[in-house]
Amino acid sequence: MTEPTHAPLHTVARGRARWHRVLVRPVLQRRARVAPAAQAIAFVIGIVLALIAGALLLWGSGNDPVTVYQRMAESSLGGFDALSRTLLRATPLAIAGLAVAVAGSMGLWNIGAEGQMMAGATAAAGFAMVAGDLPGPVLIVLMLVAGAVGGVVLVLGPALARAYLGVSEIITTLMLVEVAIRIVEWLKVGPWKDPESFGFAQISPLPDKASLPGLFGQVHIGVLFAVALLLAFWLAVSRTAWGYELRMAGSSPATARYAGISLQRKVLTALLLSGGLAGLAGAIELSGTATRLEPGLSSGYGFAGIIVAALALMRPSGVAVVAVVFGAVLRGGQSIQTLGVTSSIATILQAMILIGALVAAVLLNYRVRWVRPVGSGADGDAAENPASAGASGV
Amino acid sequence: MRSRTLIRLAIALASIALVSAACGTDDDEAADTSAAPATTAAPATTAPPADEPEPEPEGMSAEDITAAFILVGPVGDAGWNWAHDQGRLFAEQETGATTLVVESIPENAEAFKEVAIDFIENEGADIIFGTSFGYMDPMEELAAEYPDVVFEHASGFKMNDSNFGNFFGRIYQPRYLSGMAAGAMTQSGQIGYVAAFPIPEVIRGINAFTLGARETNPGAEVHVNWTFTWFDPAVEGDTASALLEAGADVIAMHQDSTAAGVAAQDAGARWVAYNSDMRNFAPEAFITAPVWHWGPRYARTIEAVAAGTYAPGAYWGGMDDGIVQLAELSADVPGEVADRISEAAELIRTGAWDVFTGPINDQDGAERVAAGETMEDGPMLGMDWFVEGVVGDASP
Repeated sequence: MTEPTHAPLHTVARGRARWHRVLVRPVLQRRARVAPAAQAIAFVIGIVLALIAGALLLWGSGNDPVTVYQRMAESSLGGFDALSRTLLRATPLAIAGLAVAVAGSMGLWNIGAEGQMMAGATAAAGFAMVAGDLPGPVLIVLMLVAGAVGGVVLVLGPALARAYLGVSEIITTLMLVEVAIRIVEWLKVGPWKDPESFGFAQISPLPDKASLPGLFGQVHIGVLFAVALLLAFWLAVSRTAWGYELRMAGSSPATARYAGISLQRKVLTALLLSGGLAGLAGAIELSGTATRLEPGLSSGYGFAGIIVAALALMRPSGVAVVAVVFGAVLRGGQSIQTLGVTSSIATILQAMILIGALVAAVLLNYRVRWVRPVGSGADGDAAENPASAGASGV
Repeated sequence: MRSRTLIRLAIALASIALVSAACGTDDDEAADTSAAPATTAAPATTAPPADEPEPEPEGMSAEDITAAFILVGPVGDAGWNWAHDQGRLFAEQETGATTLVVESIPENAEAFKEVAIDFIENEGADIIFGTSFGYMDPMEELAAEYPDVVFEHASGFKMNDSNFGNFFGRIYQPRYLSGMAAGAMTQSGQIGYVAAFPIPEVIRGINAFTLGARETNPGAEVHVNWTFTWFDPAVEGDTASALLEAGADVIAMHQDSTAAGVAAQDAGARWVAYNSDMRNFAPEAFITAPVWHWGPRYARTIEAVAAGTYAPGAYWGGMDDGIVQLAELSADVPGEVADRISEAAELIRTGAWDVFTGPINDQDGAERVAAGETMEDGPMLGMDWFVEGVVGDASP
């Protein structure tokens, strides 16, 4: 009846133990407190540095960096319509990012949010098929509930396996992504095939009333759900006993157990919440942007949620900011392709910007310490610090 | 102490920023003077052919047209997307129009609409060519939203009566011919077919191929394995290998990658490719390929839009129109077989005969097309059964 090993990253630290004793090595140690202003400045500096490096890339690939950057800025932030497009992308990013962050705040990595989004969208679409007679608003609300349930169902196996058997959720959640996408593929050519599409394979369209109402420009009211969820989780994680226990279970499982907190229960809650949120994101994406369920619906937002959560250091407040910046980067990166920037260059550019922001955040929030050999107290201390391991795991 | 570290970090970052900014300025200047402006879409350098001038008052010259292409995968796939991009380049040469392209846009309504609107509003696109089935719904929506822009959709079935049409080709015709070549080249009489998705388009191709194979080799069997992919070289290569291990010595395929051909060559077997003349990827295995030639269709559409004569339709062109063709046969296809293939091609091209002409039985031996009858387009477009000679399940 031993508790499952908590963070797999501890194991990594233990594996290194042998050469710890021989070599001087760098260790990232989390700073106790960093001013929010410094956080913002570092973020901006990181992005600016990446843009400068990106200019070299653009110039080297035969593009004019000034024109390209101008287009990027205009298309993502220049005016109401542009902003609405950025927010349209930020919505699924924020909710998926929050999903990953909820699990991440207790040291768990739900990297299968992509699959849970698909499961959520599938459940929502299925519900719209059987309950299409309901009035629009009721239908939409129930579709969103179905979406959350769908996400929970997909993550249930990994969550139970993690809580009671110690099976790494990193692997199981990821593997189920493919399963979820394949199920949609199968529904598309099989039971949910649209009988009115002349034998072509596509799932029957959603009724018009199943669409989320628009807010302004391109963005739908899903963005308000995202804001509400972020607020709710910020309050829950930072202001309630439940949130405190969750964080403690993540940062020092032994202490948490000693304090009578059931780790298994916490693991289950965190992963199921995480899956439910991702499922909700999928349902919102379906109802907000699509005319029918299709295998490409979540288009990588679930995976991008991992980056969002990591950049946000698993904090809901950070998720909000990062999701909008990420949304702008995606929108801008898309827009420059119609200027003639090839999709590979655009993707590299997007990645550079995100890496710039990530490196700046790590440099600011962690201190590099050179640890000397021979079991000095600081050595063990730093090696067991889960935050440091978390950073290198990113 | 902590704040001092912070300041040090800030200074370090700021100095890096300044140094890089200085470098960046140099680069920008260099870019201004030397780098070409960002256009993969430079107008063709060659003069357009001297077509008859358009007298209509509202008619523009084709050179004034901007045609934008939205592709679902990478141009470098050597398959579907490459063939469309070749068509784009052909049309650009032919008409002098400006063409633009983006690749790897997923079949996702929002993603498609975003790119198309960028093309229309920022680049002034007059025509949007969407080349993947899943773009159909957003194209329909945008056609209503932008009545002055023409939307042409490859492989779909929706249209309207002003600015939204669809186009496709009877690739089953050259597939039949490629089947004739495959039937002649197989030693074992066992042909493996690496099939994409169980949809009518793919099933029709398998059936046409099988009819052709059994024309030259009446006992031949075509074994179908589904990959549920359009472009996944690993899966497609593995599926080909599995079919080869099961005894096939010729591989045919429906995906956009060349992996099945590479697997065939590695096993010393032969290969019927698809989409484009892929012979360089597995030259020893290559027999032939049914190929797309989209260029003339694109050029005609651009010219019609320029002249103000565009009218949307549901175009399904065949070998008579050149949109689908058979790639050159490999040198070791016997001359007698090559002659038979040419004769069949001539019958198809002149309209004297088409592939799905009876008698045709299905897998269970039941007659589907009576002797002397030719299948109508409707049942062909909805085909969901396999002909005699196919081993596999049409609805897996």
